[in-house]
Amino acid sequence: MLAAAALAAYPASQSLDLQWAALVFAAAGVLVFAAGLVFRSAGVLGLGLAAIGADYAILFVAEGGALDRYTPIYAAGLMLVAELGFWSIESRIPAWSEPAVAEWRLARIAGACIGAGVLAALALVAAATASGTGGLALESLGVVAVLGSLVLITVLVGRRSVG
Amino acid sequence: MTGVATGKLRVYIVLAGLGLLGALAFGRPELAALAAPFALFAALGLAFMSPVEIRALSELDLERQLEERHVNLLMEVAANRAVEHLELVLDLDEGLVAEAPNPILIHLSPGERRELEVPIRCARWGTYEVGNVVWRVRDPFGLFAYEGTLASRHWLKVYPHGETLQRLLRPLETQAFSGNQVARNRGEGIEFADLRPFTYGDRVRRVNWRATARRNEPWVNETHPERNSDIVIFLDTFAEARRADLGTLDIAVRAAASLAALYLREKDRVGLVSFGGVLNWLTVTSGTTQLYRIVDSLLDAEILLSYAWKDLDVIPPRTLPPRALVFAFSPLLDDRAVGSLLDLRARGFDLAVIELSPYSFVPEGDSELEQLAYRLWRLQRDALRTKYASLGVPIVEWREGVPMEAVVEEVRAFRRHARVVRA
Repeated sequence: MLAAAALAAYPASQSLDLQWAALVFAAAGVLVFAAGLVFRSAGVLGLGLAAIGADYAILFVAEGGALDRYTPIYAAGLMLVAELGFWSIESRIPAWSEPAVAEWRLARIAGACIGAGVLAALALVAAATASGTGGLALESLGVVAVLGSLVLITVLVGRRSVG
Repeated sequence: MTGVATGKLRVYIVLAGLGLLGALAFGRPELAALAAPFALFAALGLAFMSPVEIRALSELDLERQLEERHVNLLMEVAANRAVEHLELVLDLDEGLVAEAPNPILIHLSPGERRELEVPIRCARWGTYEVGNVVWRVRDPFGLFAYEGTLASRHWLKVYPHGETLQRLLRPLETQAFSGNQVARNRGEGIEFADLRPFTYGDRVRRVNWRATARRNEPWVNETHPERNSDIVIFLDTFAEARRADLGTLDIAVRAAASLAALYLREKDRVGLVSFGGVLNWLTVTSGTTQLYRIVDSLLDAEILLSYAWKDLDVIPPRTLPPRALVFAFSPLLDDRAVGSLLDLRARGFDLAVIELSPYSFVPEGDSELEQLAYRLWRLQRDALRTKYASLGVPIVEWREGVPMEAVVEEVRAFRRHARVVRA
């Protein structure tokens, strides 16, 4: 919750034209995320994460201009919040746990966060060095590619559930 | 085994999609940078997804144990690949309590065989299947969960713990075979009974020389022979009063097992009639084998709801031999059992009824109406008890916490002082 609040506070604390919107998304994100934890709902938790992400998006909508250099840190933070959140709501039974289980879990979360930060940094570097004009056709192609990827992944998930 | 995608996978895919679409819509690579880790995480999870197979071998150190004692279950758990997060639940029936942590979360390295020892306390008598394990594994990314069960099928018999008795209740009449009980009639034995004049055929060793000298004619000793007796344990399994940890059937089974062991040790013949929804019986026999038969049969005793009317006619005649002492354990909650016990008495059986008091299992109630009903119910039970007593049946109320010794002593006192009242 603290990490989620810190992430949500970053765009909302900037002096922006759309600060009220950032505040609304920040508050909504944190509250929905908290509700997801309380009700142990993955969907609600995802909604909270999306709202926190939308809060970050307002930073660019309002400001525009240069790339945000803190994006890799934000990406790592968002991954941390997501991983800890899903760990919290994981269906579990009160059980004795050997220390190695928690150690492995923490190591994996740390690895995921570092990986997220590195990947985000690479994505930013790639975006900064990319040359091209873009345009409506290319953007449409991108939308189709994203949607196609999502559909493909969803189908894969459905098929690879072991019966 | 079943495997399912967790909600986390769906959320990560949706977040990745939203981020990428947002990046396209607003033309900002930062959003794509935020979404990329979620997309990569989901992709890696799908790429490295592989079903897991958990194997477990288990061994139970004892197949039979007494109540409140322990048995040890040894388990060896292995998997076909490394498992970061393995939840194991030893599925134990009610009546068995794991003394080690259960469930447990463990980590298995590749090729590792983990040995687990689980001490199990046998809390209640019965026959149990031990060693069934339910497991759940999450993949390293937490995107898929696999669940399965492992059946082991070890059978554990938990015998009721015995009550001690200083003196056993003796039947009014003995049987023909030799045993440890002094018979009422006279014959070849050790216990002195009386003196009588010598008659033709008496052995010289039976001559009482002092009495002979005093009377100037030969007198001989008469003795009581040592005989065995037949005991029938009559268990009412029509109904019971019960709370979470204890019921009247538990008390009855423990007492029946104790009595069977004690009487069989005295060379008596013991039989069992479990009279209820399911009729179960063992004809009277002596010996250690019979003890195991009786205890095994008691372990199967359970209350089965039945509306079928049953009386003594359904019981095979051989299970109720003449001159046997019938020890009945009943909470007297079912009219069929009450009627059958009265019928037994009417047929001339030497009957002792141990009423397993249901009072401590039935709350009095809070409202005035409930309390009134409770008092009426108690009055009805008192009247029933009086009816048994007036027929010459020793009936003793066995309350929770009272030792069996006291109950048997009360039956003995009733038999000693009771007189048949003839109108």
